[in-house]
Amino acid sequence: MIGFVPYFIKVPQVNEFANTLTNISSVVGQFTIVIAIYSQYRRSLRFIRERRKGWVYNIYLLTFMSLMILIGFTWGEHNATYMWLVNSIVAPCSSVVYGILAFYMFSAGARAFRARSLKASLLIVAGVIVLLYQAPLTGSYIPGLSPYATFLTETVGMSLNRMFAIAIITGAIMLNVRMLTGRELAFLGFAREEES
Amino acid sequence: MGKEGVNLLKLMATYDKRWGYLLLFILVLLPMIKPIGMPISVSELTKEYYEQLQTLEEGDIVLDSWSTEYSGYMELKPGMIATHKYFIKNGIKIFICLGHPEGLALVGALLEDELKGYMEAYDYTYGEDYIILGFALPNQAATLAMATDFQGSVKVDWKGDSIKGTFLDRVETGADIDMIADFTTAAGNPGLINHIVLTFGTPMIQNQIGVSLPGSYMNLDAGLITGLLASTRGGSELELLIKEPGPGLIAMDAFTLGHYLLIILIVIGNIGFFGWTKKVSEEMESTTIR
Amino acid sequence: MEQWAFLSQIFQIFIAFCLFTTLYGKGNPLRSWAEYSYLAAGTAMSVMWAWTYIRNHAVIGLQAGELIWIPAIILGLMMWFRIYPKYSYISRIPIAFTIGIGMAWTIRTQIFTQFISQISATIVPLFDQGPMWLFERTVIAVGIITMMSFFLYTMEIKGPHLWSATFGEYFMYLAFGAVFAGTFMGRLGLFVGHMQSYMFPVWKQPYTIGIALLVFVVMLALERTGWGAKLSA
Repeated sequence: MIGFVPYFIKVPQVNEFANTLTNISSVVGQFTIVIAIYSQYRRSLRFIRERRKGWVYNIYLLTFMSLMILIGFTWGEHNATYMWLVNSIVAPCSSVVYGILAFYMFSAGARAFRARSLKASLLIVAGVIVLLYQAPLTGSYIPGLSPYATFLTETVGMSLNRMFAIAIITGAIMLNVRMLTGRELAFLGFAREEES
Repeated sequence: MGKEGVNLLKLMATYDKRWGYLLLFILVLLPMIKPIGMPISVSELTKEYYEQLQTLEEGDIVLDSWSTEYSGYMELKPGMIATHKYFIKNGIKIFICLGHPEGLALVGALLEDELKGYMEAYDYTYGEDYIILGFALPNQAATLAMATDFQGSVKVDWKGDSIKGTFLDRVETGADIDMIADFTTAAGNPGLINHIVLTFGTPMIQNQIGVSLPGSYMNLDAGLITGLLASTRGGSELELLIKEPGPGLIAMDAFTLGHYLLIILIVIGNIGFFGWTKKVSEEMESTTIR
Repeated sequence: MEQWAFLSQIFQIFIAFCLFTTLYGKGNPLRSWAEYSYLAAGTAMSVMWAWTYIRNHAVIGLQAGELIWIPAIILGLMMWFRIYPKYSYISRIPIAFTIGIGMAWTIRTQIFTQFISQISATIVPLFDQGPMWLFERTVIAVGIITMMSFFLYTMEIKGPHLWSATFGEYFMYLAFGAVFAGTFMGRLGLFVGHMQSYMFPVWKQPYTIGIALLVFVVMLALERTGWGAKLSA
């Protein structure tokens, strides 16, 4: 309530306190990284102890992770060695992880887009029109495609997103109200919900 | 036709997807080795974005929000380079706020690797023309604090040096910001929109990745953002408009070929489906009934 | 230093192609090494981010005399009790606090940007700006309402509701086709941009192609000899 009310009732001190609470909650959230590290260590040590497939990689993981954390803590995060490791490993790998999705989407489209029914045909037709327009060559040689593709993306596609946004935020508000009134306690680890 | 024809249809229906991956790899890499130079058209969306840029005058202050991680930067790079070249060329003051910790790596990648020569050519200097505030927008409270009391909430830049005596002395609240340029991978930035755009009416332009475009279209339609640059394609179109060719235009050959390959494989897959898969399943069904 | 920058570039290309071998569909030690390296480096980086954030806010704030950060640190430390099942109930307090603040901001901001603004942008005068505007706005309004009616599962779908839900379903398929194309464009743009960073400047091209071929050949050789599956994670 302290976070929510100041938006509607302008009391500068309460607003400031709400902002402070938000900053505190951001800091509290950062402490959860320790739980993630503990879980990782526990899992990897169990793999190593049980000599499961790939246990050697878990030794490598724990060693490398610990070394990098040590370098970061000892010499700071702007240290050349730390930055070298970040730029040489994290940057390219995170790009690959998302870039690989292009291939998966590519094969999903090529293999799943079958005109089995009217609905599937509509999906394919809309997809192909927009794909053709998005290819710059077609977009420049067949300008007549532009209004149809623009209609599909900026009107039809946008309607879908707007519908989902309205529906999701309605659900989120309902969930928040249930949490505030104590009817939803699963997030706190209570197994049984309070029945309404 | 006989056996040969049936095998072709079977191949169309059951080819190994890894050949598709290999083809896509080759079609993306080949135009980079030997550029083809296919023409591109400029969409209305990019023209509107450019018109928004043209409303800025020399000396105007822009909140430059980089809410993207390194992978998103790969997609937004052409648009980011083109937009910043426009800012540099036209003497627009920018202060860069990072919304993602990985943004720290982008500062070097964009400003030092890509734009250094351009900034030197136009005498665009740190402190006078641009300031980097670092990871200044970690959450909505920070955005609200910046919007309502800029001088109270922002005192130092990303290296800890004071921002007193710079162009940021002119900024008291969000009303003193002439425009927000948001380079993001998220579907809209609720903090910037709610605390600056809706409160002070500051125009906001956005460079968005393809995945989150539908979300941005609805914000554009609702008037929450006034200009939208769509992914790599939009960036390349902006390069064409500002007459500064860059990585976007180089990428368009690969873009075109990648799209055509997907369309061709969809068509091939459907031919294979109707010519082979459907027939086989119908034959199996009729055999079972007997 | 230039030597290190060059080594960094080559290493980046190598580790990227090792990770790309995921597309082959079979495990191999190059991919496993790349995955575990990314996991280790990414986790270490997350630890440093978290520590930097805590230091820049709580630690520096405390040093400046802002005592409000003491409850922040106490709440953060209470979060760690999640690890011990016997005392995990202590962690409920910081969890409830964090979720409460998150809830407040969701209601405070999203309700305007995602809810009210979107609804008001849907219900607009239809006859203001010509026939094209009328058509588009009608399509948006009808589309949103019919698609929403498709998702009403708490009542029997019959009569006008059935027509609305059916229309909404077909509208959705049309929209999904367009959205898929946009998503593919985005991902392809990301992949193309990524490859550009390994192909330009032009001096990188022989290294990129050479490393790609090397990784591909090694992966095939390991797979054919059976060592690929044995040595992978």
